[in-house]
Amino acid sequence: MKIIACMKWIPDTSEAELSIASGGKDIKKDDLDYDLNDWDRFAIEEAVQLKEKYEGAVTVVSVAPEDAEEMLRECLARGADEAFQIWNDSFEGSDGFVVAKALAEFIKKRPFDLVLTGTLAEDDGGGQVGGMLAAMLGVPSATLVSRIEISDGKAKFRRELEGGLYENVEMGLPAVISVATGLNEPRFVSIRAVRKVASVDIPTVDLDELGMNENQVGMEGSKIVIEKVYLPPEGEGAEIIKGSTEEAAARLAEILKEKGVL
Amino acid sequence: MKNIYVLAEHRNGTLRDTTWEALSAARSVSSQLGGEIVCLLLGNNVSSISEKLAQEFSKVVVVEDPNLETFNSDAMTQTLSTILKDESDYLLLMGNSNSVIDLAPGLSVVLDAALATDCFGFEVSEGQLLALRQIYSYKINALVSFKNCDKIVVTLRSGSFSFTPAGQASGTIEKRDSPLASAKLRKTFVSYEEAEKGDVDISSAEIIVSIGRGIGDEPDMDMYQSLADTVGGVLACSRPIVDKNLLPKYHQVGTSGIEVKPKIYLALGISGAFQHVGGIKGSPLIMAVNKDPRAPIFRVAQYGVVGDINEIVPALEEKIKELKG
Amino acid sequence: MTILEPANVPLAGVPAPSVALIVLIASLSFFAYVMWKRIDLLKRCAPDPRFSDVSQRIKMMVLYGFGQLRQPRYLGAGILHILLFAGFMILSLRSLTLIGRGFSADFHLPLLTGSAAFVYDVIKDYTVLVVLVVCLIAIARRAIWKPQRYAHPGTSGHEGEAYIILGLVSALMVTDMIYDGSAFIGEAHSEPWYLFPATNFAAMFMKSVPSQALEQLHIGGYWAHILFFFGLLNYLPISKHFHVITAIPNVYFANLNHGKIKPVKYGVDDWMELEQCGVNDLTGFTWKHVLDFYSCADCGRCSDNCPANIVGRALSPKMISIKARDYAYAKYPVFGTPKDFKDKKLVGDIITEDEIWACTTCGACEQECPIFIEYIDKIVDMRRYLIEQGALPQSLQKPLQQIKKKGNAYGAVKSKRSAWAKDIEGVEVRELKKGENAEYLFFVDSCGSFDPRIQEISKSFARILGKSSCDFAILGQDENDSGNEVRRIGEEGLFEQVSEKNIEAFEARNFRQIVTFDPHAFNVIKNDYPKKFPISHCSQLLSKLIRENKIKFSGEYLKGRVVTYHDPCYLGRHNNVYEEPRFVINSIPGARFRDMERSRSRSFCCSGGGIMLWYENEQETQRMGERRVRMAQEIGAQVIVTACPFCLINLEDAIKTTGNEGKIEVIDLVELADRSMS
Repeated sequence: MKIIACMKWIPDTSEAELSIASGGKDIKKDDLDYDLNDWDRFAIEEAVQLKEKYEGAVTVVSVAPEDAEEMLRECLARGADEAFQIWNDSFEGSDGFVVAKALAEFIKKRPFDLVLTGTLAEDDGGGQVGGMLAAMLGVPSATLVSRIEISDGKAKFRRELEGGLYENVEMGLPAVISVATGLNEPRFVSIRAVRKVASVDIPTVDLDELGMNENQVGMEGSKIVIEKVYLPPEGEGAEIIKGSTEEAAARLAEILKEKGVL
Repeated sequence: MKNIYVLAEHRNGTLRDTTWEALSAARSVSSQLGGEIVCLLLGNNVSSISEKLAQEFSKVVVVEDPNLETFNSDAMTQTLSTILKDESDYLLLMGNSNSVIDLAPGLSVVLDAALATDCFGFEVSEGQLLALRQIYSYKINALVSFKNCDKIVVTLRSGSFSFTPAGQASGTIEKRDSPLASAKLRKTFVSYEEAEKGDVDISSAEIIVSIGRGIGDEPDMDMYQSLADTVGGVLACSRPIVDKNLLPKYHQVGTSGIEVKPKIYLALGISGAFQHVGGIKGSPLIMAVNKDPRAPIFRVAQYGVVGDINEIVPALEEKIKELKG
Repeated sequence: MTILEPANVPLAGVPAPSVALIVLIASLSFFAYVMWKRIDLLKRCAPDPRFSDVSQRIKMMVLYGFGQLRQPRYLGAGILHILLFAGFMILSLRSLTLIGRGFSADFHLPLLTGSAAFVYDVIKDYTVLVVLVVCLIAIARRAIWKPQRYAHPGTSGHEGEAYIILGLVSALMVTDMIYDGSAFIGEAHSEPWYLFPATNFAAMFMKSVPSQALEQLHIGGYWAHILFFFGLLNYLPISKHFHVITAIPNVYFANLNHGKIKPVKYGVDDWMELEQCGVNDLTGFTWKHVLDFYSCADCGRCSDNCPANIVGRALSPKMISIKARDYAYAKYPVFGTPKDFKDKKLVGDIITEDEIWACTTCGACEQECPIFIEYIDKIVDMRRYLIEQGALPQSLQKPLQQIKKKGNAYGAVKSKRSAWAKDIEGVEVRELKKGENAEYLFFVDSCGSFDPRIQEISKSFARILGKSSCDFAILGQDENDSGNEVRRIGEEGLFEQVSEKNIEAFEARNFRQIVTFDPHAFNVIKNDYPKKFPISHCSQLLSKLIRENKIKFSGEYLKGRVVTYHDPCYLGRHNNVYEEPRFVINSIPGARFRDMERSRSRSFCCSGGGIMLWYENEQETQRMGERRVRMAQEIGAQVIVTACPFCLINLEDAIKTTGNEGKIEVIDLVELADRSMS
């Protein structure tokens, strides 16, 4: 079985205090650590586990700048057989559509049974690439998948609906599956494991190899464009609500209502 | 804008609230950019649903097919692309539900439309539609434009647009033939599967009411469960609660328990040990109640109340019920 | 009447000396063969340089091998064992003599003749009686009282072994008594009975036996004794009682580097280049570690003190030795070639992952073992293998990744490392830049830098250092996690990464000494870092400042409350710092200090520090910290002082869950000193 896993290299913003970069169209990223998108960690693990179960090979690919080599090497250490890095500086500012397009062009040229991605990335939270990629490749897709079995040339899987409900679905191969977190237990990658694959070549794939040009990528090729970013008005630290129990409870309830909970 | 389409979402014969929220968003956009609001209902034997929709929408387009019985993204894509293939200058709105997540990206490619997911607001600037969404672990607001694309698909964050069905319109119901008769579906729905009974998945909950050691030695667990039910959330806890066997382990939030990313996290009597806080980092809004004004939970919360939770919780539930009417 | 001696009575027509020779050669050959097989396995194992420090090793062997100094930690059993061991020593001469008697009726060991022989015989006679009584008591203990530490959860087939051995030893004593007693009856004696109590006792039973039968008893007793002796000798290397042979060498080759983890492989320049890192099979262990397996006497003292075992985790240290020995004996059988156990892996199937991760590396097992069997290095070696397989518990993955990326398990940005040090009332904390000087370099470690609760200890320590006019400074963002648990979890590559960064930071600055309040940092810098730096634990520095009158305490904070001290594993057991913290506490006026029953080297682990704080065990039925708090409760303690930030966190949690909030206070030594300073 030939599996292609698509990875994303994103800044870790969960912990950091964020501020807006000049121009107001992005955040300052200089002090942020970049890492493999958490959802994709489950995708590469699933790819390797499927390979271990059904035999085959795993290819990882990412549309990501030079620094992301570290991530691709980590994927090799996890058990991927080869890794490719798609990049050209003009990819800067690309939306999910452009990324899906580039991946589709890359994947079209090679045989595959299954493409795995994470359902979402923590940076843009778009959740678009998997489904778009499948449509571009002309194959079926599924998202939020929390269990995968392969038999009779089909993917039999379970996907998450809301409130503890799942749906079991079957889908012919080749296909694109975007996984949910928690469908497996990603293995640990030690420093030594990464060093063992230090000499594996990770080819960079440029635009011409994809048959694309600079007008099709970056902001120019994107379908949506960020016009402005700003910090939500919450501010820092807790606003302590003063007053009697009644008043405090009333205020809390109001806030809940403002947030659209009620 | 010519048309604003709203995809009706339903499961097991019941309309889902996301439909009304999308209608609310559609009206808000329409009031600024014009456009006729059309509801698209894809299903099987959905006449009662279509009638309910016609009480709110002026126009409901219905396609019925056994393959549309459940939310099969493949069948949905084929049907919607048939309906919309000759259209332009439109906005398609859907709730950002787990079903729609399966549909929207591929559909946008097939329609050659621009897609913005999980949006919670709209703005109009120079006659152009802008959508508001959150990026970077939901910590930053971003206003996105659709360039000059005249086909736009937007999915909406649940709870961002409120709407109460008034049941006053008497819209037209237009039935169209299903294009699926001859088509071969690549995906087949097999079955629904309920999580094990009593099994609460706090990791996917949007609203979490979480209790900690501060609830005391003889806590009134019903009181907290009742609050969680009232706000439509699930009950979770910090480690001492599990240690005391007050809740099972799969309710425990934290780096050693389950990491959660609800939209709202209400922390009651949780001091905020780092292991716990580590599990709620992704929550955009944390509200904390604690008797200790120095509790570290207040450092990560946006709103805090210093006081006795045994008094505040019943008062809060009361107020919430009042506001809900 | 003179009784015929065995050497003079042919057996089935064969002259006795020939029989003796055959028995001797056959037994020794078989014994030598088995020993060769056992040693052959050791030779297949990984290297372990244990041949230096001869004088220290001899001292160890004399004190703990022959002196049995660790035995009385369990008083009753210890005394029994010492008696048995002394008996073995004494009776070994007797056994040699008896072997000789098979060849010649009046065989005597050189020097053991005349009055020396008489004195020896008197001693021997008492010894026989003592050993017999000890064996009977030991049998009774096992049969009637069944101490729990002798149990074998999860395996079977070993329960009988102890009875076989005790039976054989008793039989040796009885046959010796028969042999001597039967001869005694036929001779005239002037000595009082109490010089030869065993012989007299035996003779008493045989008084009325006719002389011919008496002779048969004498000859029979002799040959039975010889057979039991060689039977026992040959039983040792195929049973748990191999320790009779291996214990002394095992003590001689004991680990002398306390607190330090062994390298991945000895004698290798770059372990990164190794085919495999860590241990997943017998031969991956060092020869000494397999000798440990051979040597385990199954006494269960390790498991009896293992906190993981006590709270219900999957780990029981002695079972690691016993299971590994069973595996070794099965895989490398006495007859035949080594077997290939493909579907039964030592690490994973025999010793499970749960066992391997359950260990807190507290060292209680190693402290207790009478013959210095090691566990921590083995556990770490097996973890290194699991890490290589990616099989790290999920709860530990994130903290390790954070250390890799950010130098701390808390996932905090590096630039915030010294944020705690801003705005402390009454003291300014200096960041030591490269090339600058300070007397003390305060190593804060990740916990002291980022955990809000532990930051309070950092602040207290800074205040004390400031008030006592110490010239001190911190590393700021050049400090990395100390790596104590990183190494013990088996992520050697990451340990190298953080330790190298810290060493680089140390070397770029001038200071007289590193000080830290975290025993884990103290231990790893002192014992594991490849470069040595002078380092003190805060309790040592505080003691010094008190002695120099730079710190004065008032009793205002303690107000005469009953105080106890919880010895942190990495301060006490791993580094022998027991007195200084107690000295600091006792320097506070009016402190009513009481030790818990488990204190000093018997201290009970709080459940582990460093990133072990993140580890979640599913099997445990109670928390170690809770157990510890109950121990403090038992002695009526109102204040538990500890000298480790992780103990503080775990015990404070336990105070809450045991309902002792407001009744017992847990406080770090540094905080206590800070609050008590006048």
